[in-house]
Order: sequence, then structure tokens, then C-alpha cells
Amino acid sequence: MAGHVLLALVPIVAVVALTQSRRLSAIIGMGLLSFLLAAAYLVMHAPDVAITEATIGAALVTAIYVLAIRRTGRLTVVADEVPGLLAREGDRVVGLEYEILRGFANSQGLDLSIRFVPLRRVPWLIAHGEADIGAGGIIPLTESIDPLDATPGHLDTGVYAFDARDGRPTSELAPDYDGYFSELQSKARNGLLSSSATSLDLARVLSLSRGAPLEGLDRLDGRHGYAFLVSKERADLKRELVRYIESLRHSGELDRLVARFVQ
Amino acid sequence: MPIIVSFVLLGIGILALVLRRDLVIKLLALGLINGSSILFLVGIGNRPSARAPIHVPGEVATFVDPLPQALVLSAIVVNFAILALALVFVMILVERYHTTDAVRIEVETSRESEEEETPCL
Amino acid sequence: MISRRGWVIGSVGLVVLFVVLLSFTYMASYPEPGDSARYLAIPLEDSGAANRVAGIYLNTRLFDTLIEILVFSVAVLGVRYYLSHSPQVSLPSLSESAVVRTAAGILGPLALLLSAYFATFGHISPGGGFAAGVIAASAVLYVAIAQGMQATERRLPPQRVATAEKAVLLFLLAWVFLPLAFGRAPLSELLPRGTPGQLLSAGSILPYNILIAVKVFLGAWLVIAAFAQHRGEL
Repeated sequence: MAGHVLLALVPIVAVVALTQSRRLSAIIGMGLLSFLLAAAYLVMHAPDVAITEATIGAALVTAIYVLAIRRTGRLTVVADEVPGLLAREGDRVVGLEYEILRGFANSQGLDLSIRFVPLRRVPWLIAHGEADIGAGGIIPLTESIDPLDATPGHLDTGVYAFDARDGRPTSELAPDYDGYFSELQSKARNGLLSSSATSLDLARVLSLSRGAPLEGLDRLDGRHGYAFLVSKERADLKRELVRYIESLRHSGELDRLVARFVQ
Repeated sequence: MPIIVSFVLLGIGILALVLRRDLVIKLLALGLINGSSILFLVGIGNRPSARAPIHVPGEVATFVDPLPQALVLSAIVVNFAILALALVFVMILVERYHTTDAVRIEVETSRESEEEETPCL
Repeated sequence: MISRRGWVIGSVGLVVLFVVLLSFTYMASYPEPGDSARYLAIPLEDSGAANRVAGIYLNTRLFDTLIEILVFSVAVLGVRYYLSHSPQVSLPSLSESAVVRTAAGILGPLALLLSAYFATFGHISPGGGFAAGVIAASAVLYVAIAQGMQATERRLPPQRVATAEKAVLLFLLAWVFLPLAFGRAPLSELLPRGTPGQLLSAGSILPYNILIAVKVFLGAWLVIAAFAQHRGEL
């Protein structure tokens, strides 16, 4: 009787374990399946087989799988939302920069974790070592932004400022505004945009102007590109990131991602 | 009953092996197929109202067939060793193609084999 | 690429296949008890092991077990060779949680004791060399979680463990095959048979169990250490 109940549970656990989306859940589910099978062998009067199956299938195989897919560290990214580059869609995050960061984290064996913060906090967080990479449509306007370092741009864009004084940049980094991007959207609808924002980039301008036409914005001259911010002390991280982006560009993958997300 | 369940597990394992795209889940499905064959072997040795094949001195009883259990012991250990080696190959494959998606790996390998020239005789 | 129709046909074909296989089981019946009575009797009388399964795979079918151990060694060799090309990672600890580390430190020696019990009593109670070896390897994994991989590496350097594994394998092969060279049967001739149910019984099954346990422990520990140290992109 107990044997029949155990054996009836086994296919159910197998189906549940093999239809999981996360790999870790599937591995743990198969470990549970192995335990159920060991119990079934015990009820079928096969104690040697039960012991061997329990130790090998449940303990060793699970240990080896978990050791193989474990992440050896964490890559923290602070950013503000930008549609097309790094935006939340329900549960997931999508965008060009997200794909680049995710591929980079995978290649380094690190877990990617993204924190959404107000844009002005990003340089401060990177400089104080609270996060590894700053992202979210950041455009460095000057050559050096002590104590930060920027990767060479991965996507060319334009910078828009409200009181552009002859095309000279007003701050070291663009865009520059208070609070979150989502707050900007409500402000743009009410026409209060120029009170809280000093400069914006092309992606944000495109997204904001879908709601209502914007006024008072001038485009700055010069060639600007989106980049990632890394602290100057993490030179090896910057080197790895630059190398990864170069390999993406070289293989044409970067163009494919740009075509997928931006155009 | 164990024989029926072993065939159901075989079916589930083959379906998961074919239909899931992630390489690690395919490996787990292979392990499930191994487990189903082991369950089958132990199940056909099972006798109704029998005892485990350990001889307690001074007792006479009918025993479960010990031969499939002996076969299965070696099978479990060999399955584990082969699974570890397969996992190593999956790791090498993922490192080469930077993805665990089996369909994308197929596309990449077919593209590579198209690009390389056939050697001249 | 397989089209959607292909998926549907494939799935239906698989379902049909395993319904056919299922129907075979209803046509089959259990094998006659008389066929395996021979196998039930032989282990007890021939080897004197109370655990009949151990009597079969360490006495009647010893060569199967030997070849299976060879396959295991080759797989371990393959894992070590292929993983030596991946980048090596030295982590501070296998687990960041202090609870897990303390619990693993307590469970490690218990598991080692269990492995020793299975190895030495494998011929009179359930257990056997394979389970013992695997439990010993996971016991050392517990110790590695508790104390860190570097400390465990210092006590069990991989090169020495690999050499020891090959030495134990050669010793086991010699134990089985050398009596053949001297005209004796290789199975349970070197030690007395004793009375079944006692510890010192069943001829050479007891040393075989211990040797197999040591061999499987060394091999499985090499595999686990290789996975813990090298990591690919998976």
C-alpha cells in the first residue's frame, strides 16, 4: 500500500521537476524524485539498491549539479529606467543594456542584480563602492569624471538640454534630473519638465514626447554615446567589460541587439 | 505497478529530453531515463509477500530475486559517472557558444559547418 | 529546425511508442521462481555471505563488478582531464551561511562513520562497497563546506589522491587475478569462509568491499573536487 502511494507520486514529481523554468528548481526536484525512488525500493525489499540510489542520486548528483551551476559572485548594477535600454516589464527587465550586462555577468560567472535608483545617485553609489556598474542611458560629457571611469560608448545618441549655453555641457554627465524617470513622465504631461530636468538623452526624449510634445529642448552639438560607469579603482572590471563589449561589436551581436531594442 | 511506473517515467524522460530547450534540463531528463530502467529492473525482481534478500540465521522465507538488484547496483554507479562526464561536456559546450539553449547551439554549429570550406583532395 | 507539425507528430509518436511498450508488460508475467532458485541458493552456499546481493556481485559475478569499477575510473579520468582546461576558481567558502557550515561540520564525521559501517558490514547487512565509497566522498564534501576548500586541499592533494586511486585499482585487480595465475579460483579463496552471519565470514568479500569503498571514495572525491574548483560559464 505504501509502495503504491510512493510509486504513484513519482511521475507527478517527475513532471513537476522537469517543467520548471529555473534550473536550480529542476535539480532540487530531481533530488526529491531520487529520494522517493529510494523509499520505493525500500518498500520493494531492496535495501542495498535503496541506500545506493539515495546516496548517489539524491546527494552526489545534486551536489555536482549545484556545484556546476553555482554563481561565484554578484554583479550589482544601479540604474534608472530607460525604455529601450533598461526597463521593467512586469516581472522582467528588458532592454539593450540589460542584455549586454546579462551576457557579461554570465561570462564572468556572476549573478546579476539590478537596483533602480534616482539618476543623480548613480555616480555617488559607484564612487562609494556600493555598486559595481552604473547604467541606464548615461552619457559622459567630459573626458574624465573623477573618481569614475566610463567605458567607450556602445550606442551613439544625442543629448538634449534645456538651457544650452552655446552647446557647452552643463554638467559632467547627461542626463541630469531629479528623482526617477517615471516621475518625469507625469511631470512632462503637466508641462513641468524644465523645473526638474537639466538635460536628457535621446531615448528618454523619444519616450517622453510620445505623451505630449516637449518644448524648450535644444540638442547639444558633438558626438555622444551611451556608456557604463565604473569606479576608477576597479580597473580590471572595466577592462573585462570593455573586452566583452568589443567582442560583441566584433561578432555583430551588438548590431543585432541594437536593431532589436532600439529601432 | 513498478513496471508501469517505470514505463511512464521513460515516456516523461523522453518527452522532456526532446521538448525542453535547456541543456541542463535535457541532462536531468537523461538521468530520469536511467532511473526508470533501474526501477524496471528492481520491479521485475519483486515477488509478492517476500522478504529482503538478507539471510537471517534460523529463518526460512521466500526471498526477493537478488539478481536484478546486483545488476542495478553497478548500473547506478556507472550512471553517476557517465552523468558527471556528460555534465563536463555540457559545461565545455556552454563555454564555447555562450548559451544553454540547444536550438541556438544547433543553429550556430550548422552555420559554422556551412562556413568552413570542404578540404580539397 | 523542426516545425510545429514535427513537434506534434513527434510527441504523438512517442506516446504511441510507450503505450505499445506498456501493453507488453501486461502480456508478460513474472519469471518462474524455479529459474532463480539457483541464484538464490548459490551465493549462500558458495560464498557464505548472509547478504545475498553482495554474494552475487562480489562472488558469482565478480568480473562484472570489476569492469564496472574500471568504467568508473575512466569516467573520473575524463572528468579531470576535460575540466583541467576551464579556469580555476578559488572561493573563500563553498557556502556563505554559518548555519550550513556548522551543520556540515557536525554531519561530516557521522557520515564517515556510516561509510565505514557499510563497508565492513556490507556482507551481512545492507550496504556494500559502492554506497560506502559514495557516502565517504560526500562526508569529505561536508568537511570541505565546513572548513573551506583550501584546507581540504592541503590534506587531500589532488595529485596524491589520483595516484592513490590508481594504486588501489591495481591492487584490487591483482587480488582478483593473481590467484588465477597460481591455478586457484579468484573468488573467496584467500580467506576462510566462516559461518554466514558473522563478521569474519564470506571469504574475501569483506576485503573486496573495503577496497571497492576506498576506490569509489577516491574517485568520487576527485570528481567533486574538480567540479568545486573549476567553473565554466554554466
